[in-house]
Amino acid sequence: MAHAAQVGLQDATSPIMEELITFHDHALMIIFLICFLVLYALFLTLTTKLTNTNISDAQEMETVWTILPAIILVLIALPSLRILYMTDEVNDPSLTIKSIGHQWYWTYEYTDYGGLIFNSYMLPPLFLEPGDLRLLDVDNRVVLPTEAPIRMMITSQDVLHSWAVPTLGLKTDAIPGRLNQTTFTATRPGVYYGQCSEICGANHSFMPIVLELIPLKIFEMGPVFTL
Amino acid sequence: MAAPPEPGEPEERKLLGFLDVENTPCARHSILYGSLGSVVAGFGHFLFTSRIRRSCDVGVGGFILVTLGCWFHCRYNYAKQRIQERIAREEIKKKILYEGTHLDPERKHNGSSSN
Repeated sequence: MAHAAQVGLQDATSPIMEELITFHDHALMIIFLICFLVLYALFLTLTTKLTNTNISDAQEMETVWTILPAIILVLIALPSLRILYMTDEVNDPSLTIKSIGHQWYWTYEYTDYGGLIFNSYMLPPLFLEPGDLRLLDVDNRVVLPTEAPIRMMITSQDVLHSWAVPTLGLKTDAIPGRLNQTTFTATRPGVYYGQCSEICGANHSFMPIVLELIPLKIFEMGPVFTL
Repeated sequence: MAAPPEPGEPEERKLLGFLDVENTPCARHSILYGSLGSVVAGFGHFLFTSRIRRSCDVGVGGFILVTLGCWFHCRYNYAKQRIQERIAREEIKKKILYEGTHLDPERKHNGSSSN
């Protein structure tokens, strides 16, 4: 989860998120250099003694400041498109979970190996135990295995919601009447948090998502299905 | 990268308020080499031409080019290293899982080399 006043991305828990962080670093370095150049140009503009108001021709400069931004955009677009297509790869998921958004909770369905269906409500502050996270912890977590490709089918029963888990690099809209799909592979066990990311009413901020990722061997022993 | 700062640690500093040089791989290395390149290019230009403003322009241009060059070079090597680490991790996992069985990669490799 994010720590207080965190601005940067959370640590990656999936290969896609690692790629996204790499791309973010790449784009940020280019942005930093452009900002540096612009600040320098601004400084020159403010400190120059040259005040010729009749300049009308600057073909070379205009060519440079057309070609250079195009090259910069290509340098940013190519890795971006690579990751975009990578996120759309479907690599034979081992497990499919359905996630249905409601006002204001999530329903999860594990229908691959039985008919496990449960709701996931945010824990109200009065029900928090010491160590629980306010506005983030839920009564029933989504328990999933690590190192296995998982498919999430996301939809909504009423209004628009969005199922998001930043550390996995996931955000998929839950749209009523439509089934959206996202796949991921978690690389390390742990408890990971997300929040609804599409305005959906009064309690939009109070319907978090909590994933409990456990090793595949332990998941196979069936802790989820003893609910 | 996302860990909160410990109580004794100094606050994280970001260049121009957003580039986290400490925690971004290759950033510190690129910025330092870029600064060095900027000083060398700008000062060198000044020594040859004695033009201050143009030397500053050369210095800024040198900073941008050297930083970008070091950045791409370092990130390419970093990506190669990550791929090698991932392959090594997978091979170690496979080795632990399949050691002594007919799927042991070493047994397959020794079998094919003896043939």
